[in-house]
Amino acid sequence: MTTIIEAKNLKAYYITQAYGVERTVQAVDNISLEIQEGEVFGIAGESGCGKSTLLKVLLGAFEPPLTVVDGTVEYHFDSERINALALTDQNLRDIRWSKVSYIPQGSMHVLNPVRRIRDSFYDFITTHQQVGRRESLEITRKYLADLGLPESVLAAYPHQLSGGMRQRVTIALATILWPKLIFADEPTTALDVVVQRGVIQLLKEVQQREGSTLVLITHDMGVHANLADRIAVLYAGKIVEEADTRTILKNPRHPYTQYLIKSLPHLDERAERVSIPGRPPALDNPPTGCRFHPRCPLAIDKCRTIDPDLITVRPGHRAACHLVTEEVIHATTA
Amino acid sequence: MTLLKEFILPRLLQWAMVIFVGVTITFLIPRLSPVNPIDQALGRLTAFQNVEPEGVLALRATLEDLYGLGGSFFDQYIAFWQRVIRGDLGPSFSAFPRPVNELIGAGLPWTIGLLGSAVVLSWVLGVVLGSLAGYFPHRLWSQVLDKVLIVVYPIPYYILAFVLLMAFTYYLPIFPLVGGAKGTPGLNWDYISSVLIHSFLPAVSIIVGATAFRFIMSKALASTETSSDYVTYAEMAAVPKRKVLFFYVTRNTMLPQITDLALSLGAIFEGALITEVVFAYPGVGSVLYNSIISADYNVIMGITLLSIVGIATASLIVDLSYPLFDPRVRFR
Repeated sequence: MTTIIEAKNLKAYYITQAYGVERTVQAVDNISLEIQEGEVFGIAGESGCGKSTLLKVLLGAFEPPLTVVDGTVEYHFDSERINALALTDQNLRDIRWSKVSYIPQGSMHVLNPVRRIRDSFYDFITTHQQVGRRESLEITRKYLADLGLPESVLAAYPHQLSGGMRQRVTIALATILWPKLIFADEPTTALDVVVQRGVIQLLKEVQQREGSTLVLITHDMGVHANLADRIAVLYAGKIVEEADTRTILKNPRHPYTQYLIKSLPHLDERAERVSIPGRPPALDNPPTGCRFHPRCPLAIDKCRTIDPDLITVRPGHRAACHLVTEEVIHATTA
Repeated sequence: MTLLKEFILPRLLQWAMVIFVGVTITFLIPRLSPVNPIDQALGRLTAFQNVEPEGVLALRATLEDLYGLGGSFFDQYIAFWQRVIRGDLGPSFSAFPRPVNELIGAGLPWTIGLLGSAVVLSWVLGVVLGSLAGYFPHRLWSQVLDKVLIVVYPIPYYILAFVLLMAFTYYLPIFPLVGGAKGTPGLNWDYISSVLIHSFLPAVSIIVGATAFRFIMSKALASTETSSDYVTYAEMAAVPKRKVLFFYVTRNTMLPQITDLALSLGAIFEGALITEVVFAYPGVGSVLYNSIISADYNVIMGITLLSIVGIATASLIVDLSYPLFDPRVRFR
C-alpha cells in the first residue's frame, strides 16, 4: 500500500480580529494522518468538531480567516510530491479534478442555476482538458450512462432536478475526469434514506471503478459502516481514535468513540439509546488536558491537565486516551 | 397555445388595466384642482379690456368645446377616451392652436436619443465595472473605484450639470452652451457631429450619476453571487476566472438588472426635466417644463400619458422576456 496523502502535525486555526480583540478558534489541532491509495477513509465526528475544516485544509482550499499555523499536507502522485498548502494557480489547474476532486454536501447549491447541466460539465472539463464542445458532451454522455444517470439531465437546468438527482449529477461532475483522490463532505446529508442508499452505491461504484481513494466526511456512522475501510474519529479538532471500520464499530477504545457507537440504533434492541452527556466544547476556548474530559465518565485527574498523545494500541489502531495508554503500558511491562 | 393563454394573455390584460387606470387618474387630477383653465384663459383675455357678457359666454362656450370641458363629468370622460384612442391629445393652450402631438413629437427624438443612449451606456458601464469590483473586491483599482463612485453617487445630477456647464462652456469653452444642434437637419456628418457635441455634456451629467448607482447595485449583487456555492465550487475546480465572472457571477445578476434597465428605458418618455432645462435641450423635458409654467394642461396630460404607456409597455416587455433571461422563471 502506498500513501496518497499525508498530513503531519496539522494545526489550522480561524484567526479573526475585531476591534483589536483577537479570537482564535482551534478547529484543527495537531492532526497527523496518512491515507492509503485505493482505500475509503472515513472521518467521523459531531457537528463543529473540525471535520469540514480538516477537509478544506487537505484540499488546499482555505482562505483567511482560516490559517494553517503549523504542519504539512502532501499529495503523493506516483513519484511526484505536491505541497497541498501552497498550490499555485498552475498547480490548481493541473491537479484539481484530474487528480484531486471534491464532492460537496448534498444540500449545497453547487450547480449554476442559469446554466444547463451539459454546460457546467463543459466548463469543468475544458478547464483541465483541451477538448471541444462536442467531445466534452461525448465524454459527459458516456460517463453519465456508465453511472446509470438518465441522459435527459444534460439539457436540464439544476432546478428541474430532484435533490437526489442533483447530488448524483454533482458526484458525476466531481469525478468526470477520473481523479485519484476524491474528498466527499457529507455527501448524503439532507437526502432521505432511500436516496441516500442510491448515492452511497454510486460513490462506491465511482471509487471502485478506478480504485480511487475516497476520503469520506460525515457524522453519519451508518454511512461510514457502509463505505469506509478505515475511520478516524474527530473530537474538538483532534483525532481521538483511528482504526479499521470493524474495530471502530466492534471494539472502540476511546470513551468518546464508545459513546458514539452506543448511540447507534440496533434493529434487535428496543432499549433507549444513550446519548453523550454535555455538549461539544467551543473551540475558541477548549478545555485543558484531554478535550473530552468534561463529558467523560471515566475521567481521572490526569485528564484534566495533560493532553493525551495519540498512541498506537496495536498496528493500525491509534487512540488518544490516558486510560488506553496506561493499559497498553501495563500490557507491555507485564 | 397554453403559452399564449396562460402566460401572454394575463400580462397583456394587466398592461391594459394599468394604462386604463393611469389614463383615468390623468383625467381626474386636473379636474380635482381648484384652478379652472377656462376661467384662467378668460381672465387672461378679459384682464385688460371690457368684454360684454354675451361675448364672455360665447367665448366660454368656444373654449369649453375646444378644451373638451363641456358637458357633464361623465360625458367629458367618454369624450376624453375617444380622443385618446384616436391619438388626438387636443391643442396646446399656450401654443394654441398647435396640437399637443406635434409639440411632443418635436421633442421626442431629442429625448430618446439623449436619454436612450445615456441609460444604455450607464447600464453597461455600471454592470461591467460593478461585476468586476464585486468579484475582485480586494484589488486596489476596485477599492478606488468603489470609493470614488460612492462619493459621486449622492451628488444630484443637476448640480453636476451646472458644474459641467460652467467648466466646459465658460472656463474652458470646449462645448456649446445650449441647444440641440446647429445647422440644417440632415444625414450629413456636420449635423450629426453637431448633435453629438451638443448632447455630450447633458449626457455626461446623467451618465455619471446613473453609472454610480448601477455600479453600487451591481457590485452588491455580484458580491452576493461571488460567495454563492456554485461560484465557490467552480473556483475550486479552477475554472478560469473570466468564465466564472461572466457565466457564474454576472449572468446570475442579470434578472434584476434587466428589469431595471427596461423600466429606466420606459421612464425616458418623461424626459430629463432638469437636465434639459439647464442645457436648454429641446427634448420632452423642456416641453414639459414650459407647459407646467404656463399651465398647459393638455401638454402635461399628453406627456403623462406617454410615460404611463412607456413604463407599462416596458414592464410588459420585461415580464414577457423573463424566461429568456432566467430559466427558473417559466410560465405556469
